[in-house]
Amino acid sequence: MVMKKRDRFEAKRTGKQDDLFPVYVDDFLMTLKYYVDEEESHLWIKDFKICHSCEYKPCLYFCPAGVYSRDSDGTIQIAFQSCVECGCCRVGCPYDNIGWKLPRGGFGVAYKFG
Amino acid sequence: MIKKTASMNHQLSFDAVVVGAGLAGCATAITMAKEGLKVAIVERGQRPGSKNYFGGALYTHAIAEILPDYMEWKPPFERAVTEAGFWFLSQNGLTKMTVQGGYLDKAPADAFITLRSKFDVWWADQAQRLGAFLIPKTTVVDLLRGNDGRVQGIKTDREDGVIHSPIVIICEGVNNLLTQRVGLISHDLEPSRVALGIKQLISLPADIINSRFGLQSEAHGLAVSVLGDVSLGLPGMGFVYTGKNNLSIGLGVNLDVLAEYRLKPYEVLKRYLEHPIIKPLIKDGQLLEYGAHLIPEGGWTDLPVLQTNGVLVAGDAAAMVNALHWEGTNMAMVAGRIAGETAVLAHTKNDFTSKTLSEYSRRLEDEFLLKDLRQYRGFSKFLETHPQFMDVYPSFMNDAMGLWFSAFGKPKKQLFKEIFQSLTKRRSVFHAAADMISMAKAVMGW
Repeated sequence: MVMKKRDRFEAKRTGKQDDLFPVYVDDFLMTLKYYVDEEESHLWIKDFKICHSCEYKPCLYFCPAGVYSRDSDGTIQIAFQSCVECGCCRVGCPYDNIGWKLPRGGFGVAYKFG
Repeated sequence: MIKKTASMNHQLSFDAVVVGAGLAGCATAITMAKEGLKVAIVERGQRPGSKNYFGGALYTHAIAEILPDYMEWKPPFERAVTEAGFWFLSQNGLTKMTVQGGYLDKAPADAFITLRSKFDVWWADQAQRLGAFLIPKTTVVDLLRGNDGRVQGIKTDREDGVIHSPIVIICEGVNNLLTQRVGLISHDLEPSRVALGIKQLISLPADIINSRFGLQSEAHGLAVSVLGDVSLGLPGMGFVYTGKNNLSIGLGVNLDVLAEYRLKPYEVLKRYLEHPIIKPLIKDGQLLEYGAHLIPEGGWTDLPVLQTNGVLVAGDAAAMVNALHWEGTNMAMVAGRIAGETAVLAHTKNDFTSKTLSEYSRRLEDEFLLKDLRQYRGFSKFLETHPQFMDVYPSFMNDAMGLWFSAFGKPKKQLFKEIFQSLTKRRSVFHAAADMISMAKAVMGW
């Protein structure tokens, strides 16, 4: 398993973060049109053990569509239906633990304006 | 299961296949189709542009070089960029540095504010009008190779979805999985060298936009980068682009910043939209669309090998972005055009090896494109290591301007002292001077 990015990852804080207030991202996402692939997800966790040992879980934060969440026992859940296919999780997971492929042709987000 | 269509049987054969119907992809397709090549453009979205989201303007020089009579075909532009520049935002103030008239006063304008999902459809229409064949709703999964390893086309995710062609031009965008698979680049993108761009598209009547932004008419548009109290003092930039009856307003933040500070990008965006200066600009506006897209700001560092036997790569897939100047769309079009011209040359010589295709890199060396990418290679790193440009200096500018234009009934000497102190309390003179030198170095590529 690739763990190459681990050494470089450290969580930081800036005082200005206190200015932020919670946003319910679904209020933004409801403007989007999706063609949901009901048969397969184009996102997956490669190894759940790595997620359990991941201290900061940045995927819960950086995803602009809030695709990643935790269930009651802390396991990462993927709402791939909301994905806008930006690639943040593919590039940003510190342990390269998120499987990512393009949705099958025609599926996924379809921006109307862009 | 997707049904096999008549157009997708395995006999399908073209002179060239383009992966992705974006700016680079259609530019290359138009260039080749004009020269009589039989071209297929394979697009994974429902339509061209349905996967593209940007806040921005397209540059007409790049379009005109591909399609000199483009204006006659009525491109779906929003507004001409008649005013452009920087806004420096402090916690509660704004200093503007924008230009209008002069170099920007041209017909047609140098740049047009555009929405990609509309423009890309039109751009692909031009390619089809000239004879290219668009295959939408189809994801390319790999190259097709013969027993001798030579490129013979592509494999798609459709049943029997093989398309034959002696040359493949990869214009797949920022998530360059095929480029990596082909081995044109050995490393994936790095969080520190990609920015996440997110924006809201907000609907407002044209006359309200005109009055709020001081624009004379619907033909006039404003494009600004917003520095300062946008990204919590962390490396990032905001933007505002005025459409006909909409505003593109958002920001770009480096992905490593979002990860390390555990920031939700939509919360950072919301904070920016709630800023006391920004909020009145979007008042009573309706959210039309929200979205996000990665920007490969690595440029020179993430530039892949641009060609190999039977393959060329252009656009975001090749990290052709100049972050400071918000250029990328024009680079994609220019590179797409030159890739197309190179493919035409390869057909003329009937040689698709990298020997002929290296003409592509050679021509890009001559253009501004590789020159600029090389010059700005240190800029991303510079922003990352100098967050004061997002924080200290925009605030200082607002204080300095505010003090200069206020009358406190104090001697001017004291006013100058206060202005000076508003800098030095944030950053020593020595550090400020060093910052300016670093910036000059990063921009000039020294």
